Amino acid sequence: MTTEDLDSASGTSSVLGGGGQGRQVSSLTAFAAIAVVGIVLALVPLWIGDSRTLMGVAVSGLLFACYAIAFNLIFGSTGQLFLAVGAIAGVGAYGSAIISDRLGLPFPISMLLATGLAMLIGGGFSWIAVRRSLGIIFTGIVTLTFSLGFDNLLLGQRSITGGETGYVVDAGSDTFLRQQIPPYYVFLGLVLFYLIGYFLLHRSHIGWAFRALRDDEVAAELAGVNVAKYRIYAGTIGGGMLGFAGALWAHVEGFISPATFTFVHVDVPVIVMVVFGGIGTLMGPIVGSAFFTYIGEVLASFSQLRLIAEGALLIVLFLTLPNGVVGALRSGVSRLRGRRATR
Amino acid sequence: MLEVSNLAAGYDANAVVRGVSVSVNEGEAVAIIGSNGAGKTTFLRAVCGLLPISEGEVLYDGNSIADMPVHEVARAGISFVPAERHLFPEMNVAENLALGAYPHRPDPDQLSLVFDLFPRLAERRRQAAGTMSGGEQQMLAVARALMSQPRLLILDEPTTGLAPGLAVQAYESLSVLRSHGMTILVAEQQVPLVLGLADRGYVLENGEIKLEGRSDELRDNPTVRRAYLGVV
Amino acid sequence: MTAVILDGIVLGLQFGLLGVGLTIVYGMGGILNLAYGQMAVVAAIVVSFALKWGLPVVPAVVLGIVTAAVIGLVLNLTILKPVYRRRGEGRVLLSLLVTIGVAFIIDGLLVWRFPLEALGLSIGGDPVLILGVPMRTGSLLASAITILAGGSLIYFFRATTAGKAIRSVIQDEVGAQLCGVNPAAVRTLIFTLSGALAGLVAVTQSMTSPVTISSGFDITILALLVTVVGGLGSIRGAFLAGLLLGLVNAASSFYIGSYITTIILLGAAALTILIRPSGLFGKHA
Repeated sequence: MTTEDLDSASGTSSVLGGGGQGRQVSSLTAFAAIAVVGIVLALVPLWIGDSRTLMGVAVSGLLFACYAIAFNLIFGSTGQLFLAVGAIAGVGAYGSAIISDRLGLPFPISMLLATGLAMLIGGGFSWIAVRRSLGIIFTGIVTLTFSLGFDNLLLGQRSITGGETGYVVDAGSDTFLRQQIPPYYVFLGLVLFYLIGYFLLHRSHIGWAFRALRDDEVAAELAGVNVAKYRIYAGTIGGGMLGFAGALWAHVEGFISPATFTFVHVDVPVIVMVVFGGIGTLMGPIVGSAFFTYIGEVLASFSQLRLIAEGALLIVLFLTLPNGVVGALRSGVSRLRGRRATR
Repeated sequence: MLEVSNLAAGYDANAVVRGVSVSVNEGEAVAIIGSNGAGKTTFLRAVCGLLPISEGEVLYDGNSIADMPVHEVARAGISFVPAERHLFPEMNVAENLALGAYPHRPDPDQLSLVFDLFPRLAERRRQAAGTMSGGEQQMLAVARALMSQPRLLILDEPTTGLAPGLAVQAYESLSVLRSHGMTILVAEQQVPLVLGLADRGYVLENGEIKLEGRSDELRDNPTVRRAYLGVV
Repeated sequence: MTAVILDGIVLGLQFGLLGVGLTIVYGMGGILNLAYGQMAVVAAIVVSFALKWGLPVVPAVVLGIVTAAVIGLVLNLTILKPVYRRRGEGRVLLSLLVTIGVAFIIDGLLVWRFPLEALGLSIGGDPVLILGVPMRTGSLLASAITILAGGSLIYFFRATTAGKAIRSVIQDEVGAQLCGVNPAAVRTLIFTLSGALAGLVAVTQSMTSPVTISSGFDITILALLVTVVGGLGSIRGAFLAGLLLGLVNAASSFYIGSYITTIILLGAAALTILIRPSGLFGKHA
């Protein structure tokens, strides 16, 4: 093997950073962190609860936090580049909306059905990628084509989906989900649930398998780790997380449109958020989504700058800070403590 | 012409070769002898710029080429024929040879010289390099290296993958080049063949030079005879 | 039916040239340039402005193409430098992400500054009858230019020293270096060429339908689809895939509808990856 081969073998994991994997965080620290986040975020409505628009932004921020955690699981933990985060969430959203409105099923049921569909799709992508030995790039391209195809499907089937103008979701319109404050806590609960789930998942044998296969896929296979199975787990669970969050959003917001779930609108910001926060870390997605929701609000009047900022950040982050903020903080703290941060 | 002093090079943090000093004078043929893993390839790649040098110096006509990128070393008049050959598989013989002359156009006289040396290549001018046999590919690799009219020809185990008859033929061609005045540096495992060509040689073992001398001295040396010539 | 086929060919030639620009950069340096469409759009905008300032058509077009080429040049020398330091899949991944960033920056700048710009070159003249089908002069000129460009490219790669040097780096980079070829210089050349091609396609496309500020991402995706079906890194593949997809596009648009057409094209690329990842002619899977 030449140095070229060696480099390409570790190439993708170095792009991803991966500073979060080495050191196991103790349960106490993790739960404490989650509790702190929960408490801090629970206090937000005290500050902005009066403004409907700001609450809307906050809920949207929590939605993106859900997306980010899911993407962190799929890409960060198992190296699968799913560029269909928005689309899978859209499957959940449109699925639940259409099933509940057209088929008359109560929306909790439709949400579960739609989530199931999203899980199938997420798991399906992983399964296909494994079966056809698609590398990270081809997985990315295939999921991207799905994302674009789904967008076109929504636009084209206007009799069912309302097309470009969007879809008004009736189901859930008479519940607390449509009020000003409660949706925030519902989504906050979901975020915390996802965080705890992510943490528990990574503490289990599944998390061990994730770490093994991310560090060195070949070695993991040789050590008996069924890489395929764990990738499919991640894809299915991640897909489910996305689908459920999307479905919840549909019933909370009351209105969805194809533009809400596109690659440009969802996937790219999510990637930026996760990498900024620190891929593979527990709190990375939270840090990233919080930061960007805030910045997004500040720059709200300069919406075109948002595109430029996202682009610039994507470049700067991937070239200089692949471990993100949390990762950098961690290495900083470890260095202060005199210990080298393990890979 | 080529003066390597105290060279150390390797992969990542490990030095594969250490403290290696080799010199090649104009018009000479010099051999680097050693078994598998001795570090011959590492040494030659470091000299040509394919591997970074961690210590030591490489002087070519008195100028340092230690940090020179590969393509500049090639343009300076040093042609390297690696063991893997690195031909262009989808290009035919003519195109491979033309690239050997890069950045100049292939010189017709040099081309006929090369075809005289390797008549088989002339027959297969339009054949894609990837479809040729091992022996033909070896010829093409050497021929391509000659197209730039180099002053120093470096070869890494030119007999790799060649049947004994072809290996002998290869060295016969090298002898012809030698008689035309080409300076040659060869790394080789097949010691009798290379000592037949070379004036001087170095024995490389575990990354260090263990012996050096004129080829007749080396041939008579008991260690060499035992280790490489199979004489008990 | 003949009309659909001819339309398909016109479209296909455009698709093909578009794909070539993207595929050579991949085949050459393992870079997936997702800012490709934006480079084309910038060229279109430059031409549009040049025309407004009174420049005659040909110099305006040249200016646009050169601008896109320069963007390619600059990109290669700046942002992509750290990307080249990586190898294999890591390089492709990083290039994908970083060029998305560049695409966003360019898009953002364009939308911010020139939200309403578009380029539409109307070529005068009555429709010409080809095989009994009236074809717009714009389409015919675009096709002619594309064929000419394609032929020039083929000649360039086959017969010129620079073209051979490029092919040599694609086939065996170490071998190329040993022959005295400077891979970094060749990569810069390829990227610049890719930019020029993007600009050229923007111009020819504008002869049939306007190229707007928001066309960037669509162009990139189209180029990506053609590249994937043709085989990443294969020029022949890009042309053939372009023609194929152009015909499919024309037929599908005519008989079915535009949204489904896009889905079909996307599906074609996905299917190619699933069934034959190396594409029609690709070498690397």
